[in-house]
Amino acid sequence: MKGNSRLRQILAPGLIIMFGLALAAGAQTYPNSTFQPHSELGRYIDFLWNRLLLLGTIVFVIVEGALVYVIFRYRRKGTETEKPPQTHGHALLEVTWTMIPAFILLFIAVPTVRIIFKTQAKVAAGALQIEVIGHQWWWEFRYPEYKITTANEIYLPVGRTVNFKLNSNDVIHSFWAPQLGGKRDVIANRTNYIWYTPDSSMKSAVWNGFCTEYCGTSHAKMRFRVFTVQPAEFASWVAGQQKPAQYGATVASLPGGQATPVSGGEPKTSGVGAEGGNAPAIARPNGTPTPGSDTIAARAPTTGAVLASLPAGYTFPRNLPEFEYAKPHTPVPGDLHFTPGLTGVAARGMQVYSTAACVGCHAIAGNPSSVGNIGPNLTHIGSRSTLGAGSFPNTPAYLALWIKNARKMKPGIIMPTLGLNEMDPVQKRIIDKASGGLDDQQIADIVAYLSSLK
Amino acid sequence: MATTALPTTGTLTAAPAYEGQSGIWSWLTTVDHKRIGVLYLFTALTFFLIGGLEAEIIRLQLQGPNGHVVSAELYNQLFTMHGTTMIFLAIMPLSAAFFNFLIPLQIGARDVAFPRLNAFSYWVYLFGGIFITLPILFNVAPNGGWFGYAPLSTRPFAPGLNIDFWVIGLQILGVSSLAAAFNFITTIINLRAPGMTLMRMPMFTWMSFVVQFLLVLAFPVITVALVFLLFDRFFGTQFYEIAAGADPLLWQHLFWIFGHPEVYILVLPAFGLVSEVLPTFSSKPLFGYPVMVYSGMLIGVLGFGVWAHHMFAVGMGPIGDSVFSLVTMLIAIPTGVKIFNWIATMAQGQLRFTTSMMFGIGLIALFTIGGISGVMHSSPPADLQQTDTYFIVAHFHYVLFGGSIMGIFAGIYLYFPKITGRMLDEGLGKIHFWVNFVGMNLTFFPMHFSGMLGMPRRIYTYDSGQGWDTFNMMSSIGAYILAVATMIFVYNFLKSRKHGAIAGANPWGAGTLEWTIPSPPPEYNFAVLPTVTSRYPLWEGDERDAESARINSQEGKTADELHIVLPYNTIKPMIVAGSMVIMFCGLIFAKPLIFIGAASMVVSLYSWLLSPLEPEHH
Repeated sequence: MKGNSRLRQILAPGLIIMFGLALAAGAQTYPNSTFQPHSELGRYIDFLWNRLLLLGTIVFVIVEGALVYVIFRYRRKGTETEKPPQTHGHALLEVTWTMIPAFILLFIAVPTVRIIFKTQAKVAAGALQIEVIGHQWWWEFRYPEYKITTANEIYLPVGRTVNFKLNSNDVIHSFWAPQLGGKRDVIANRTNYIWYTPDSSMKSAVWNGFCTEYCGTSHAKMRFRVFTVQPAEFASWVAGQQKPAQYGATVASLPGGQATPVSGGEPKTSGVGAEGGNAPAIARPNGTPTPGSDTIAARAPTTGAVLASLPAGYTFPRNLPEFEYAKPHTPVPGDLHFTPGLTGVAARGMQVYSTAACVGCHAIAGNPSSVGNIGPNLTHIGSRSTLGAGSFPNTPAYLALWIKNARKMKPGIIMPTLGLNEMDPVQKRIIDKASGGLDDQQIADIVAYLSSLK
Repeated sequence: MATTALPTTGTLTAAPAYEGQSGIWSWLTTVDHKRIGVLYLFTALTFFLIGGLEAEIIRLQLQGPNGHVVSAELYNQLFTMHGTTMIFLAIMPLSAAFFNFLIPLQIGARDVAFPRLNAFSYWVYLFGGIFITLPILFNVAPNGGWFGYAPLSTRPFAPGLNIDFWVIGLQILGVSSLAAAFNFITTIINLRAPGMTLMRMPMFTWMSFVVQFLLVLAFPVITVALVFLLFDRFFGTQFYEIAAGADPLLWQHLFWIFGHPEVYILVLPAFGLVSEVLPTFSSKPLFGYPVMVYSGMLIGVLGFGVWAHHMFAVGMGPIGDSVFSLVTMLIAIPTGVKIFNWIATMAQGQLRFTTSMMFGIGLIALFTIGGISGVMHSSPPADLQQTDTYFIVAHFHYVLFGGSIMGIFAGIYLYFPKITGRMLDEGLGKIHFWVNFVGMNLTFFPMHFSGMLGMPRRIYTYDSGQGWDTFNMMSSIGAYILAVATMIFVYNFLKSRKHGAIAGANPWGAGTLEWTIPSPPPEYNFAVLPTVTSRYPLWEGDERDAESARINSQEGKTADELHIVLPYNTIKPMIVAGSMVIMFCGLIFAKPLIFIGAASMVVSLYSWLLSPLEPEHH
């Protein structure tokens, strides 16, 4: 029949495309997919999703099928001699198509309510407690059990239930790591919870997290990373993070010339922006680091700088190719530059840092003058993989630019412009010596200091 | 009638402008519901284009990763204004254009109950719309999202003028909606022609009737929420000040108690329009009329009990989540009934695929998708992966673009001949439909995927390597196609207004009362108030319907000749509206304006109230 073949012509390609996309969605190229749950909460949700998708598809096919059938079957041919039957309704039919949706909804409603109560039950004893505090636009994470405060990165041992206790310091945020489970809003004057258990069978991995409640200018740049690691790795990380900050007679050379994000970072040309922006030659280790190797230290052999071997805990290796998605690729503004080839000295940097504006907002355990609590805790900033809440890779080159003029790199943030003779895009004025401007050498020293805090 | 597509009655010329009814002054002073409807139509279409332009810039920014067409600040203004514009300045007023033009014609009345109040509603809408739209040219447009969540919208976190414009602008627009709603409720209850019982009213009027009650019940809630915010921002109260211990969920509850009925305010008029389109082009009465009425009412009532499904992530606890989840699922039932009844209306009919019909069918096809994805996030655990991602953006664009906009386009193609006396070009119309249909699906269907693959909403940029690039590129290309479709429509609209084929009284062979009178209708609408004996007087009425239709289809008589008393034209409603807006402007620009505006408003309002509506009856 003519109508039927047309119908198939229309539906078949559409369905193939839909299923193709659905299948493709499972591939590794979708690092934030909600279709690959890695926790029991994720699997509960996935169960509901699959049922919703199945029933939704059935309803879709029936309704659209009926519609398409009617369109082709009752098309006016121009040969009709009389009016179509003037039906006004049909009680039985109408009752039927009232009851059928109600019946279908039962198959959604019952598991929904069961799963609501299951996933919002009291968390099991022995769960890892993590306090999440939302700030415009970064995340503060506290492990009360271990007395650790960190920012924008969470380490979780696989197989242990984690209970996030969510609070906001300002506006409403929402905490979401799509591969691990659902989201929960982060609200001032209210305490929310969400708990789940990263699968114990998982190998160590890193996941992207996002703020999903619009929270102002840089909402898009309020990201975080979740590292799900083996229990032993977690223990080592905890031990490292618990130590106060230590730095040796560290010298950090800042990358010069051609490979810095500074000179190469014209964001418009994607090729240059991507490469130059993310591969400062010095910051990138040669070859794939083995788990446990320190990425900052990996920089030392290439520069020849002396890095004291400090007893750092485990950190997740930074440049594994399968976790490329966790590495930020944000281009640096084209008008932000840093003097190439400067060498920073950590001891000097500590002095500069401790007397500059930095200490008004940041805390570093072990540095008695640095006790601010407005910005992220920097005690182990050297161990973190990103800057600006997932905006940039944490390499000396980016860190130097960040200190120099963070406001150019992330719109609207509180972190002031510190670089001497830099234009503060919020205050619309040039930063001079009197207002605490730091020259590139001083910034290089601070970078050496901070980078060594692993 | 069903087989004649072209009119058989009336002289084949578009009726001339009414005497003394041309020129700008006549538009500024008009109290004629049809001309006010036309003003609404043109104004709302203009805002639709502005909102569309904002969307195009958004899609340009998101076309690829790390886009930087606009700054973060401007992007946030753009998405806020896109939502605010489309909801308050485009779709609602497009519906209002039809309320104005159609309701009196469909119920057999000469005008609305309060013609001057009707003019006032329009002018408040126009001035309010300008007030809230202009700031984007100065980079101070509202930037808190169309939902304006506190505490982000409170002074400590939004010190600039941006949110001031939003709070005050929405208050102004609320006045317009409320005044219009009371007007239409009164009109529908009191001014129906003899025999036009409630259960004979055309479905568009019925759905409009439901919507007016939703407006009357929902807008006071947002008004209260906005007054709190306004007082917080200007007079130091602390309803939403978190530093003073406020609970940020207060705003969310108030906003969504308004915000969810608002969804039905946006979509029910389109449902009503489609319920006129499908019978007309199927040559069959609407299937299951009473059930369509009841399901519309049920949707309206249930719409007030589901607001917190916008808040499944806020941590309401399992009982709150469950209750709001179940009520939300219930809404799927009356909505499904509507869809099945529309299909049943078409079944066994003789379908004519005019542009209007194609948009009407498009609504059924696309709204169904939006309905299905709606059920998907009625399940709170599933919603925890969906809310605030692009999946939601996909969902509500299938509801609002696939539902409201498709329905409104169906309505425009159906009623353009009645409004202007000329036909829209059907060839261009069909091109418009298909380009629109392809563009719409290419824009919004991929968003289901970008959302489920982890892309949050309201982000001004995203990083590469997140698996979202392809889907965003598809969405952007779709948006550009939509821009082309809209241009085709605008061209067709402007061209056909002057050069379209002459329509005649009933070009489509439709059955309801508005098609018994000339196109465009004379200012008095009906030479004699019709006597109605059935739902489709032109299809199934008896000799009384036929007699009214015969008299009313005659053109050329003036109101004076027929001894019909019409209200005076007056500028006063516009002055009252302007004064009110000036008063509100005073809050932002200069305090003295408050007193000047208030004084002017009081004086002009009393002048309005003390002047007679119409000449004395003889």
